[in-house]
Amino acid sequence: MSKTAFRSRSIAAIILLFLILSPLQDSIDLQRRRMGFERRLMLMPGQVAGNLILGGFKGLAADLLWLQVESLFHSGQHYKMLPLFQSITFLQPKFITPWAVGGWHMAYNISVKAKNEEEKQFWIKHGVDFLAEGIKNNPERYDLYFELGWTYFNKVKDYANAVKYFELAAKFPRPEYVDDVLAHAYEENGQIKEAIATWERILAGPDTPFRQIAARMLSRLKKYGTTKVETYQ
Amino acid sequence: MVKALIIGLNTFRETLRLKSYQIILIFALLLLGSSQLFSFLTPEEQLKMIKDVSLSGIEIFAALLAIFTAMTSLRNEFETNTISTLLSKPLRRSEFILGKFIGSVLAITLSVILMAAVFSTLILIKQHSLEAGLFSATFLIWAEMLVIVALTLAVAAFASTAFTLIFVLFLFLTGHLTGYGLELAQQAKNPLLQALTKIFYKVIPNFENFAIRDEIAVGVSVSLSYLLKTFGYGLIYTFIALLLCLYFFQFREV
Repeated sequence: MSKTAFRSRSIAAIILLFLILSPLQDSIDLQRRRMGFERRLMLMPGQVAGNLILGGFKGLAADLLWLQVESLFHSGQHYKMLPLFQSITFLQPKFITPWAVGGWHMAYNISVKAKNEEEKQFWIKHGVDFLAEGIKNNPERYDLYFELGWTYFNKVKDYANAVKYFELAAKFPRPEYVDDVLAHAYEENGQIKEAIATWERILAGPDTPFRQIAARMLSRLKKYGTTKVETYQ
Repeated sequence: MVKALIIGLNTFRETLRLKSYQIILIFALLLLGSSQLFSFLTPEEQLKMIKDVSLSGIEIFAALLAIFTAMTSLRNEFETNTISTLLSKPLRRSEFILGKFIGSVLAITLSVILMAAVFSTLILIKQHSLEAGLFSATFLIWAEMLVIVALTLAVAAFASTAFTLIFVLFLFLTGHLTGYGLELAQQAKNPLLQALTKIFYKVIPNFENFAIRDEIAVGVSVSLSYLLKTFGYGLIYTFIALLLCLYFFQFREV
C-alpha cells in the first residue's frame, strides 16, 4: 500500500470510528442520567481549580469534606457543618449518611440551641426539608424515608406524616426495627387495627428480639387498648 | 500476530524490571493499605472511605503506570536506536506497535490485579464479603487503562518524552472534565461555543464514562448493559488511538 493510500484509509477509518462513538456516547450519557449519575458542577469562589481537579474524583472530595464534618461535630461547631452537608450531598447525592446526619443535626442538635420557639421550628423544618431532598435523590432505599418518618414521629409529633414515611420505608428491604416503629406510629395515629396487624406480622416473622416486643405490645393493646405503660397503670 | 506477541512478552518483561514501574506500584499498594487508618469513623463510614480511597487510588496509580509503561516502552526504542535494528528485520511497523500495546497492557493488568487483590482483602477484613459492584468498578478502570495505553503510544510515536507525559496527563484530567465543559457551554447562550464544545466533548476521550467508583462506593448498582457499552466505547477509542499511533509511526524516519 502506498503512503498516500495508507494515509487516506487511516483517516477514513478514524472518522468512521468517531461516527460510531458519537451515538454510543449519547447512549452512555442517557443511561448515566437514568441511573442518577449525572454530572454536577460545583464552583465555589476561590476554590474553582480545586473543584475542577477533584471533578473526576467527587467521592474523594466528599470524603475530605466528611472528615471535616467529623472534626466539627466532635468540637460542637454544629453551624459550621451546614455548608459542608450541602457540599457533600451536592457532590455525592447517593451518599446516604450526610443526608441522614445533616437532617438530624438541624432538627435535633441545632434546634435545641435556638433562642426562641420560632427559631426552633425553623431548624426543625430545615431538617425535615433536607431529609425530603435526600429522599428525592435516593427514592429506592428505605433509609431516608425512615429518618424522615422518625423526625416526624419523635420530634415534630406529626404522626400522620410519620406513618406515611414509615410505610414508604417498609416497601424496601429494611431492618426489623422499621416495622416495630411503624406499628408504634400507627398506634399514635389512632390506627389501632393497623398497629395490631403490623405487630402480628412481626410475631409471625423470623425469630428476632422484635418478636418478643411485638408479643408484649399486642397483649397490652388487646388488654388496655394502648401500649403506653403510663396510660394503663 | 506471533511476532507482535513476542514483542509484547518482551515489553512486559522489560516493564517489570523498570524501577519507575516498581516504585509506583509499591507506593500504590502502600496507599491502599493506609486507607485502614480511618478507624476513628463508624464502620459504615470507614467502609465507604476505604472504597473511595482504594478505587480512586487504583485509577490514579494505574493511569500513572499506564502512561509511564507505554511511554517508556516506545521512547526507549527510539532513544537507544534499537528500533532501527528491529525494523531492519522482517517485522511490520503495525506488528511492532501492537506488540508494544500488548506488553504495556499485560503490565497494567498485572498491576491492577495486584492493587485489586489488596483492596479486596481490606474489604473482606471489614465486611466479610465482596460486592459485584467492586469488580465492575475495577473492570472499568482496567478498560480505561487500555485507552490510556493506546493514547500514550499514539503521542509517544511522534513527540518527545516530556511532551508525551504532560500531554497524556492533561488528556487524563480533561477526559474527566469534558462533561463539565459541556454543561458550562449549555448555560452560555452562544450557539458557536455550544457546537464547538459538543464536538470537543465527542472527540476527547470521555473518562467519566468509566468512573462508576463514586456510585459503587455508596452501594449503587450498575447495569450490565452500561458495563458492556462503556467497555465497547473503550475498545473503539483504543482502536482509534492505535490507528493514530500507526499513522504517526508509519511516517517516522528511523
